[in-house]
Amino acid sequence: MRPVDVLVRAGELASAGEPFALATVVSVRRPASARRGDRAVVTAGGAVYGWVGGSCSEPTVVREALAALADGESRLVSTEGSCASEGAVEILVEPQLPAPLLAIVGESPAAETLARLAAGIDWRVTRGLDEHADAVVVATMGRGDEEALAAALAGPAGYVGLVASAKRAEAVVAALRAAGVGEDALARLKSPAGLDLGPIRQEEVAVAILAELVAWRHARTPSAPPPEETVDPVCGMTVSLASGETFVHEGTTYAFCCAGCRARFEADPERYVVIGA
Amino acid sequence: MKDVLDTLEGWNAEGLRFATATVVKTERSAPRAPGSVLAVSEKGEVAGSVTGGCVEPAVYGEAQDVLAGGPPRLVTYGIADEEAFEVGLPCGGTVHIFLGMAERDLIDELASAVRDERPVALATEISGTEIGKQRIVELNGHFEPAIDGDTFFLPFAPRPEMYVFGAVDHAGAMGRIGKFLGYRVTICDARARFATRERFPDVDEVVVQWPDEFLRGAPVDERTAICVLTHDHKFDVPLLKVALETPAGYIGAMGAKRTTESRNERLREEGVTDEQLARIHAPIGLRIGSRTPEEVAVAVAAEIVATRRKAAVPA
Repeated sequence: MRPVDVLVRAGELASAGEPFALATVVSVRRPASARRGDRAVVTAGGAVYGWVGGSCSEPTVVREALAALADGESRLVSTEGSCASEGAVEILVEPQLPAPLLAIVGESPAAETLARLAAGIDWRVTRGLDEHADAVVVATMGRGDEEALAAALAGPAGYVGLVASAKRAEAVVAALRAAGVGEDALARLKSPAGLDLGPIRQEEVAVAILAELVAWRHARTPSAPPPEETVDPVCGMTVSLASGETFVHEGTTYAFCCAGCRARFEADPERYVVIGA
Repeated sequence: MKDVLDTLEGWNAEGLRFATATVVKTERSAPRAPGSVLAVSEKGEVAGSVTGGCVEPAVYGEAQDVLAGGPPRLVTYGIADEEAFEVGLPCGGTVHIFLGMAERDLIDELASAVRDERPVALATEISGTEIGKQRIVELNGHFEPAIDGDTFFLPFAPRPEMYVFGAVDHAGAMGRIGKFLGYRVTICDARARFATRERFPDVDEVVVQWPDEFLRGAPVDERTAICVLTHDHKFDVPLLKVALETPAGYIGAMGAKRTTESRNERLREEGVTDEQLARIHAPIGLRIGSRTPEEVAVAVAAEIVATRRKAAVPA
């Protein structure tokens, strides 16, 4: 797979709305099997397409890729010390997360205006409730706000907002509470939606909501828990449990940097298992 | 009212008479702001809205009565809280709506003034002995609809100006959201290679000129937003000095804290006072964790909204 094929693969994943990380070798100290500019794509499942060096780099890259997908931050990782040869490579790992999906409920002018603006900053926008939505904004202007909010709060969306005046918002919250919506769910509700900028016109309301959505997007706790990490009991490298090279011994899952380490462990587990660890 | 002017001109051309219902005042929050118009032609056609559907049937009835020769009138839909749901105003606000016959010549004149972006206002007597009289007046610094005595002033101001300096990626995003907020957007940069129509197809004007020189000759009023994205003292310092001499309602400048401090130092050396420096929003935009140019533009737009609505800027 040539580096450019990796980019084609990355494009396919991006078009399909799949999260992945792009790993690019940015510096090399010889001897090393990778060259500057070598690339690989790492999927959310830990699969690797492309070449960024063999068993010295891959486990590290997979671990950092999964961590990057969890926290959304790019990182520069080094294989310094993890390789039997004296070489080392530095790899830039960039998470490529699909744009958040914003579901806008309602046919009101506020809903139309927000839909136009959100699409303008590259969010994916859908009209009506969607179970995959990251954020839901309800703006029916009194034609079904309560039903839509109850449904949204029952789902996994991290942001649920209601477009209404403060007074109306209060009434809606009271109605939801009376209908049995729990306090935990109500605490997630932004009501009225949007930063308090004193907006008057529809466009201003839309800007206030979008600003709140951007703030929410970058402040939120990672959607996926950081991948579980462990130490390869054979070579001592930190590896991800999702790396694929795992083996269960006496009820404990051990992860390995490569098939070689796993084979050595399988042949004689007692030699590597630290007693009392 | 701008949204229905085309339709009203069309009715005029057909020789139709029509009544207009105009929101002249709202209390607490209402779905549509003062100046919103619902028009009804003698054939029963409808254009625009005054509340987004809640009291339209009642207003339509009043308009029919006015079309049938009834007097002009001011009606109030006051929604007591407990009635809010019943009557249908989703927010429980109160709206005051004036109904009267529209004068044909006046509508045509208004439409042409709006097209040419001439600053005018429609003055309507909504109470007193002259009730129903309408005239077009000069826009004397009133940019928001207002009632003064018996008269309701509905301003038709030209779009406010947004000047974006620095032909960078952020400028394109800023221009798009600026247009969305109703600004006439100009991007200005001294470097001809960057300030091109191809890079910024969405904005109203792209100008190749030294920023301070351009701003010195550009129209600025208190609605004007000035966004300085050049990020280079060579341009920023003379430009901000000119900006601070204008009545611009918003002045924002890009640059991290340290850049801002060293730029302020340079401006002080040029004789700018601390009081003047306080007018500059720097670093530009609300702190919402923006990363992409589009998100930075949202942060700046939010700051502009907060500034023009005099809201306390959220931390």
